[in-house]
Amino acid sequence: MNELSNSSTSGGSVFTEPPPAVTAEKLSKRYGSVRACDEVDIELFRGEIHGILGENGAGKSTLMKMLIGLVLPDGGSILLDGKPVTIRDPLDASELGIGMVHQHFSLVEALTVWENVALGDNSKLDRNKIRNRVTELSKQYGLDVNPDDRVEDLPVGMRQRVELIKCLCRDPSVLILDEPTSVLTPEESEQLFASLRRVVEEEDRAVALVSHRLSEILQATDRITIMRHGAVIERCLTKDTDANSLAREMVGRDVDMGSTSEVKVKNESFEDADISLEDARRDKKDFVLELKDIVTSSSSGVRELDGFNLGIETGEIFGLAGVEGNGQSALVEVLSGLRTVSSGSVFLKREKISSNNFGRLANKGVAVIPEDRHDSGVVLDMSVADNLLFSNLEEGYRYGLLNKARKDKRAKELIEKFEIICAGPDAPMWSLSGGNQQRVVLARETSDKPLILVASQPTRGLDVGAIEYMTGQLRDLAKSGVGVLLISSELDEILSLSDRVGVIFRGKLAALMDRENADRESLGLLMGRGEV
Amino acid sequence: MSSLVSSKSSVKRRGEIVLLYAFSALGALLLSALIVESVGANWSDVWNALLDGSLRKPGRWGRTLGSAVPMAMVAVGTIISSKVGLINIGQEGQMLVGAAFGAYVGAHMPGPGPLVIVAVIIGGFIGGAFWSGLAGALRYWRNVPEVLTTLLLVTIAANFVGYGLKNTWLLLDPDAAVGNRTQVSPQLPPDSRLPRIDLFGNNFSLSVIISLMLIILISWMLSQTIVGFRLSVVGQNQKVGKRFGISEVKQGFMAMCASGGFAGLAGSLMLTSGDFAKFRLVPGFTVNLGWTGLLVALVAREKVMAVIPVALVFAGLRTGSSFLAATGVERRVTDVVQGLLVLALLIPPAVLFIRDRRRALAQVESRT
Repeated sequence: MNELSNSSTSGGSVFTEPPPAVTAEKLSKRYGSVRACDEVDIELFRGEIHGILGENGAGKSTLMKMLIGLVLPDGGSILLDGKPVTIRDPLDASELGIGMVHQHFSLVEALTVWENVALGDNSKLDRNKIRNRVTELSKQYGLDVNPDDRVEDLPVGMRQRVELIKCLCRDPSVLILDEPTSVLTPEESEQLFASLRRVVEEEDRAVALVSHRLSEILQATDRITIMRHGAVIERCLTKDTDANSLAREMVGRDVDMGSTSEVKVKNESFEDADISLEDARRDKKDFVLELKDIVTSSSSGVRELDGFNLGIETGEIFGLAGVEGNGQSALVEVLSGLRTVSSGSVFLKREKISSNNFGRLANKGVAVIPEDRHDSGVVLDMSVADNLLFSNLEEGYRYGLLNKARKDKRAKELIEKFEIICAGPDAPMWSLSGGNQQRVVLARETSDKPLILVASQPTRGLDVGAIEYMTGQLRDLAKSGVGVLLISSELDEILSLSDRVGVIFRGKLAALMDRENADRESLGLLMGRGEV
Repeated sequence: MSSLVSSKSSVKRRGEIVLLYAFSALGALLLSALIVESVGANWSDVWNALLDGSLRKPGRWGRTLGSAVPMAMVAVGTIISSKVGLINIGQEGQMLVGAAFGAYVGAHMPGPGPLVIVAVIIGGFIGGAFWSGLAGALRYWRNVPEVLTTLLLVTIAANFVGYGLKNTWLLLDPDAAVGNRTQVSPQLPPDSRLPRIDLFGNNFSLSVIISLMLIILISWMLSQTIVGFRLSVVGQNQKVGKRFGISEVKQGFMAMCASGGFAGLAGSLMLTSGDFAKFRLVPGFTVNLGWTGLLVALVAREKVMAVIPVALVFAGLRTGSSFLAATGVERRVTDVVQGLLVLALLIPPAVLFIRDRRRALAQVESRT
């Protein structure tokens, strides 16, 4: 069988190697006007762990979902061992020997491990057989999973192993793991990689490991494909590369086709301003916001912020760089008053603020532009005037009674000042475009003279004009004495706006430097693995 | 420019909405007529009987008003809790507990009649609020879904009140001379009953005026005061609320209590108005008005003032149905008509919602 397919395709591929287990040719998928995957070619070889690296939204997951049949490609073809196949749904993929461990667990918590493994089997339920198989696989890969444990009693790392066993039980020749470590501790990740190594070496399977974490890709893989904006931008062998060049490729340089002009515009417009800003605040050394040893844990017990320290001065833009998922969202939630910290303290102008008192931070002058404005920034079904009011209810309600005239007046002023395009104060929030919704958030958060503005990915999803407006506003705010904490995974944004730069890695501040000492390479490296 | 576009589309949208409602209401009436014809009756006879029973015959619209009161009060309460994102479906039980609190006060409170009336009515509110408050407390203390608890508390309420009605020290009428003296509370004395108003040969209780005023008050509170604003914020986006110090727990618990309170009020108003059960509490006192009130709220969809016409239509169906016997149609056919009407009035918003969401999704997809 193998020989047969070898000879049939030997014309096209290198003779010394068997054909790849999976070959994707020009796979494309569009959502509306956006190309999630644009003619992507990829080859997964047997006996190898293939790392697929890229930022969030680079198209990694879409590509993998096409291989497993969860997403149907718009164009291109998939070959298994050199033979073209059609994968319409995950069942097809499963029959062809492709298995996937998803980023989010798909386990039934109330059932035991072996019952979860048995789910999806069509054959007669044979309890002992399945239990033995689980035990066998568990021993073989050093997974230490007990088939009779109830899933709800297992910690996250264990559940990940159950997912892996579930997949391996169907004996796939190709195994895809989508961000498998996002919920794991470093130790758990290492154990997972050790198991994967056995999977490829002892049984000649092909493994695709999707991740945005540089260090683990370097540590665990044999071959790397880097994706950005839906296209493959680099292919290499892991042994031929290093963290430096990977970091460069992943965060992208100005050679990136799509955003060249945009980046240039930004750089030009900020150059002169940066200098004058620097001069203006040479001698200020007064932390308006200070975070000391902040620790937060997710509901599953993973530490998101793990002893995080930070101080923001008045009138500076502090750029916090980092690959997503290193604790940024927890940090923003803490500063939004949406989450209580397990330990550590927040100081505002040297005054300690209790994180248990919701609304306190907002009232004391911590303004926030959240990463996902629909999540915690705006109420879509309320009007623009309502949305502008949250931070200062007295402006619209006197003794608890609505003062429509006053509320509308305030709204009109802000609409004009921030050039918000909408039908008027009563327009429902959902009728505004994304950029204008963002302006409503900006207007509300900054109109009451905040001490601190936390801007999390403030330009994501905005067009060039809106980006320029937003960045201009951030600079003006800093100039007027507001301390700005800019959290972004876009290095260009960080480098062009910030006075000081920090890097967040695994819930800690991994590095801190002045803008002039920061360069793209070292930052990329710090973002990827927390050290230079 | 964008304002122009949006106003144009809003006119078009409004037209679509009116058309959708008209079509589906027509569909419901057609189906109802078909059902009536299929059981061998004449649909125009039925229509006339319904109108006679609810409006045209002497004294009938007074009765319709009386039936509309508890439905409307229940609906107002339902809207308050749904404003904050909670689903209360246990009004039937909250009404009964409210009526029981009212009956207890009426039976045991000495004092001048008018004061007793007020105390009975307020007692009803407190009783209902207490009963839904249990569900609210469980929701925020132990994260138990309020949909389940409110519903299950209906059965518990029925049994508790049943127990109360068997014991003289609680609710049972101590007068052994009362006919059928099993599970009846003492009749409210004449001076503890809500005055009745005579108008154009119709007769209705003051509870009609009271509930009308309460509807207007709540409508105003929800749209014109900070109380309503806070409820909306929490109901729409808890995170935004939390960020600006509007506590989900506090708002939610308050809304839940108010929701049950209004159901309890429906119960105590029924008791003191005498439209039902002659100023006495009996088992099954609420005669399913809690469920009907829930339907009224469902159709009125968050709009408090819309409760008035919807409650009147549903009350009309109820009082009209008692005149159906002469047409040879089972009176419960009005339940079918009512169900069809509810469905008909719920279809347009559902269609609009699904369409809007599809459009929004398409937009989001094309953006990311």
